[in-house]
Amino acid sequence: MASDAHTNTNHASNHLETATLEGKNKVLGFWLFLAAEVVLFACLFGTYLALKSQTMSGPTSMELFDLNLVIVATALLLTSSLTSVFAMSAMNQRKLKLMQFWLGVTVFLGLAFLILEIYEFVHYIHLGHTFMSSAFGSAFYALVGTHGAHVTFGIIWISSLMIQAQKRGINTDTAPKLFVSSLYWHFIDVVWVFIFSLVYLLGKVG
Amino acid sequence: MTEEQQNSSPQQEESHKPDSTMKHIVSFAAMIVLTVAAFYIVMEDVVEPNMILPLLLFFASIQVVLQLFTFMHLNQKGTAYYTIFIFTGVIIAVVSAVGIILM
Repeated sequence: MASDAHTNTNHASNHLETATLEGKNKVLGFWLFLAAEVVLFACLFGTYLALKSQTMSGPTSMELFDLNLVIVATALLLTSSLTSVFAMSAMNQRKLKLMQFWLGVTVFLGLAFLILEIYEFVHYIHLGHTFMSSAFGSAFYALVGTHGAHVTFGIIWISSLMIQAQKRGINTDTAPKLFVSSLYWHFIDVVWVFIFSLVYLLGKVG
Repeated sequence: MTEEQQNSSPQQEESHKPDSTMKHIVSFAAMIVLTVAAFYIVMEDVVEPNMILPLLLFFASIQVVLQLFTFMHLNQKGTAYYTIFIFTGVIIAVVSAVGIILM
């Protein structure tokens, strides 16, 4: 890769992900995408908060939610956000093995979170809380399910980038991709902060 | 391809690594504290019910600011456009969400 020469000419901060114009554009474009995602989730949150009391005599949020499960899920996702930032520091030090280790931990924690969420949904469906059961159900699954879909996509995305990084190493081509996937993962954690606050905790207050 | 791996001598970044790792750990600890505080006020019934929502929103907002400015690196130089993009998104998001809730 001839472009590798640019890496070291980069100014003081020495960030590999923004060392080339293409890398810069990817990061800039990704922030625009995240801004759109914020609006998407805000609309789902608005819908949920407006409809959460419409339970149609089905189970209410008070009866359904188990905060102990939510604490575990929150701990998993919050820690995965930290390991993802460690992976990015390792990347900027050009330490491939260390980066792969932290990315691996991130994916593992993400998978554990996803399994917990699937278990939770299956449990709710047995209790009669489904997508079709009430407006509360529809709004709940639309919001939390969209977040879960993002986690799923993030896991697939980061795993495939790990394979690519293993093949090609850390360079100005792979670094922006890895950096952008890490931004995505932090964004997923940001959304979860609002889900545990406004859905689960507020649902227990009534 | 292999020359990139050889190029990957770690000395370039070594100097400012420890304090950025430290910063990430401090901000992670702050997020844990905020999360615990949020669960605490709901589970232990320590504040008036009408104060819970504002407090939850307050704790969540600080966590988001920490994520954006430490984990997502918005504290670094040359990130003005990213900040403009994301906060424009946040403004539209708040208007949309409040609009839907009040509908």
